[in-house]
Amino acid sequence: MALTRRDIQVYLSYRFMMTLDLWIGVLDVIVYYFISETFEGAASADLGNAPSYFAFALVGIAVTVVIEATSVGVGSKIREEQLTGTLEALVAQPIKTTEMAVGLCGLPFAISTLRVAIYILLGAIAFGLDLSNTDWAGFVVMLVLISTAMSAIGIATAAVVLAIQRGQTVAGLAIFAMTLISGAFFPVSVLPDWLEAIGNLMPTKFAFDGFRSALFEGSGWEDDALMLLAFSVTAVPLAIWLFDRAMLLARRWGRLAQY
Amino acid sequence: MAPAAGDQPILSVRGLTRSFGDQVIVRDLDLQVNAGERVALRGPNGSGKTTILRCITGALIPTAGEVRVGGHEAGSQAASRELGASLSQDRSFYLRLTGHENLLFFAQLRHGSRAGALAQVRALVEELEIEDIVAKRLDSCSTGMLQQVGFARALLGAPHLFVLDEPTRSLDQGAKGRLWAALERRPETAVVIATHLPDDVEHCGRHVDLRS
Repeated sequence: MALTRRDIQVYLSYRFMMTLDLWIGVLDVIVYYFISETFEGAASADLGNAPSYFAFALVGIAVTVVIEATSVGVGSKIREEQLTGTLEALVAQPIKTTEMAVGLCGLPFAISTLRVAIYILLGAIAFGLDLSNTDWAGFVVMLVLISTAMSAIGIATAAVVLAIQRGQTVAGLAIFAMTLISGAFFPVSVLPDWLEAIGNLMPTKFAFDGFRSALFEGSGWEDDALMLLAFSVTAVPLAIWLFDRAMLLARRWGRLAQY
Repeated sequence: MAPAAGDQPILSVRGLTRSFGDQVIVRDLDLQVNAGERVALRGPNGSGKTTILRCITGALIPTAGEVRVGGHEAGSQAASRELGASLSQDRSFYLRLTGHENLLFFAQLRHGSRAGALAQVRALVEELEIEDIVAKRLDSCSTGMLQQVGFARALLGAPHLFVLDEPTRSLDQGAKGRLWAALERRPETAVVIATHLPDDVEHCGRHVDLRS
């Protein structure tokens, strides 16, 4: 909790960036609304359980915010600690590596959850998004599971950053590719067969599908939630183990601080 | 807090060697420090003073040899609980937070409860007379002010061993006096400092000379 509280305090001190982050997301929502309006009535691909392309893309925007924050955001955070010298001060404190790894995920989870709520509310209030069928329990479960599953990628990225001082950019590109081919902004059915097959295997695919089911159908999200749970149960301990090993390497190589 | 362990030294360094690549910075160092002892590591720049301190805090793993704090391997959670460190103060804080927010954060990592951490920070701030400093955001503080906050952080959790890197380097006379007075009030706590200042060495009962 102390790590999360500290991260929130630091984040709040960057008021301009905080506002900018939020507005970029709002701008995305507006852009996709007008794209949706432009092609309304045109022959469309299978949007799954989303009632319109705007509804489809809105979930893409919202879930991508969570995915990016909890994966790439965590890797970037550890790099920042390394560069500013605070990582070495943290390591001198009596905290476990596991606590540190989990603590790093607190802020991305809190902020991205808030942003998702704002974008969905904006969609409903300003652009007529129908939430009458929403299963709110499913919505919350999916949000928590998406964050948890993606935190595994974030912690693993942090481990790579600790070991080689780089990696967050590559992780960012990988996450972008994952979201793109797993149904963030267009259905996977429009992809070439081989790419669609890969997209269907991505954990992010279950994130998008389950979130859309909870939001627009009020059911059918449970299987996707189970897949994300299975991914989390396997990947999170593995990522924490990697982080622990990377911390040991950084101490051996003298790379906790890099300034 | 109870003493670390019966008669064993609070700090035990045996055969410590630390290299960076081909360069050997510290070679085969032995050092034992008992409760209440003050030891100065003295030597010119590049003689390995800070490297030794970083091995004691666990930020670095020795290339050879071992470092134990209160009987625990340096860098372990138990060893970290035994020591309070102040190294490279100007680069180890969250500069966009106030001194008070920084101290409270680090106190919570040691204390657990926010109320307990808050009480401890208040007491320390009062003892060291740094109320004005901790009220400011640290990116507006001078090196000397940061150094005082760094020293306050080292005192958090009432550790049995202080590890201080050039603790008085940027301090004015008043702040230096408060620092040594705070250490005097903790006679059972061992102190290891890295310094090249004769004044600091005089405050220590023993010194270890290092060569570059």
